[in-house]
Amino acid sequence: MAHNWDFATILQNWPVLWVGIKGTVFIFVITVILGLGGGLIVGVARYSKSPVVSWPARAFVEVFRNTPVLVQIIWFYYAFPILTGIETDPFLAAVLGISLNTMAFSAEIYRAGIQSINRAQWEAGKAIGMSYNQTLRRIILPVAVKRVLPALTNRGIEVFKMSTLASVVGYVETLNQAKLISDLNFNPIESYTAVAVIFFVVLYPVVQGTYVLERMLRKGD
Amino acid sequence: MEWNFLAVLRDFDLLMLGLVNTLKVTGLALLFGVPLGLALALSRLSTFRILSGIAGFIVEFFRTTPPLVQLFWFFFALPILIDVRMTPLIAAVVTFSIQSSAFFAEIFRGGILSIDKGQWEGAKAIGMTYGQCQRRIILPQAIKRMIPAFMERSIELLKTTTLVSTVAYTDLMFQANELAQKTFRPLEVYTIVAAIYFVLIFLFSQLSIAIEHRLAKSGEGTVR
Repeated sequence: MAHNWDFATILQNWPVLWVGIKGTVFIFVITVILGLGGGLIVGVARYSKSPVVSWPARAFVEVFRNTPVLVQIIWFYYAFPILTGIETDPFLAAVLGISLNTMAFSAEIYRAGIQSINRAQWEAGKAIGMSYNQTLRRIILPVAVKRVLPALTNRGIEVFKMSTLASVVGYVETLNQAKLISDLNFNPIESYTAVAVIFFVVLYPVVQGTYVLERMLRKGD
Repeated sequence: MEWNFLAVLRDFDLLMLGLVNTLKVTGLALLFGVPLGLALALSRLSTFRILSGIAGFIVEFFRTTPPLVQLFWFFFALPILIDVRMTPLIAAVVTFSIQSSAFFAEIFRGGILSIDKGQWEGAKAIGMTYGQCQRRIILPQAIKRMIPAFMERSIELLKTTTLVSTVAYTDLMFQANELAQKTFRPLEVYTIVAAIYFVLIFLFSQLSIAIEHRLAKSGEGTVR
C-alpha cells in the first residue's frame, strides 16, 4: 500500500492525453449521430407492415444485437476488407462496428416508442386525410421520440464508453494514449486512474441528467 | 476471393476451448457479481447515510467508466498498488464481477422499490424484523419481477467478456485472433466466431423472452 501517487507525470504528458481525448470525442460524435440517426430508420422499417421492409430490418437488428461489439469491430477490421476489397483503417472499422451496433439497439428503442403510441392517433391522422408517412412524421414520431429520450440518452452513454474499444484495433483515443503514457513512464496506476476519472467526470452529470429527464417526462405524460 | 472454411474446421477444438473459457469467465463473474449486486443495492437503500453514499458512488463509478478501462486498471495497476500477482483470469473475474454487480445492484434496487409499501407495513405489523421481512416477503417477490432485466444483463456480461482477449486470456475472441494469424484466414475465422456468439446469445435472449412471456401470463409485472 506504500504507493506514492504521482499525478505530476500525467500532467506533464497532458498533450499526449489531449490527443486521445480529441480522438474519443471525434469518434463519439460520429458514431452517436450515425447510430441514433440510422437507428430511427431501422426502427421505422422494423415497424412496417410490409414484410419486405420489416424482415431485413429485423435480421439486421438480431445480428448486431446478438454479437459482441468487439467482434464486430474486429470483423470490420480484418474480415470485411477481404470480403469486399474495401480497405478499412482502425477509425473506419471502429465507426462501422460501433455505429451499426448502436443502430440495432436504438432501432428497438424507437420501435418500442412507436408501439407505445395509442392506435387512436393513427386513426385520427387517417381521418383528417394524412398518409401513413405523414401521420408517422407529424404525429407519431414526435411523441414517440420524446417518450424514449431517456433510453436514447442511456444508449448515448453506452456509445461513449464503447469508444474505448476502438483502441483494440489501434485507433488513437484516450485509453490508447493512456497506455502509451503508462508504457513510457511506468505509471499504469496513475494513467489508468486518470482515464477512469475522465470518463466518470464526463458521464456522471449526464447520468444524473437522465434521472431528471425521466422524472420530467413522467410528469408531462 | 473464395470462402474456405477447412482451415478453421481443422482447428475447431481451439475455438471450443475458447468458448469454454468465455463461459467460465461469465459464470464466475455472475457467481460473485450477483451477491455483490444485492449487497450494493441493500446498502444503497439503507437509511444509514454513509453506507448508502458509498454504495451509490461505487455503483455510479462502475456504471459510468468503460469496462475496458476497468479491466486495464485491475490488470496493470492493481498488482503494483497492492503487490499481488495478477493473472488474466483473476483480473477478468474481478473486473466483470464488480462491473456487473453495479448493474445488478440497480436491478435489485428497482425490484425492491417496485414492491408496494403495504407489504413492509404488513410484515412489521406481524412482528417481523427488517431482515426477516426482506428475506421472506420483499426479495422473493422482487426477484421474480427482476428476472427479465437480470437475464438481459447476463447476456450483456457475456458479450463484455470478449474484452479479456486484450489482456491475453484465452477466451473465444482471443482464440479467434490466434487462429486468424495461424491460418491466414481472418474472414472465415471471424465470421465463424461471430456466428458462434450469435447462436449462443440468440438462444439466451429467446429463452429470456419466453420467460418474460410466462411471467406476464402469471400476472407478474416486470421491472427494467
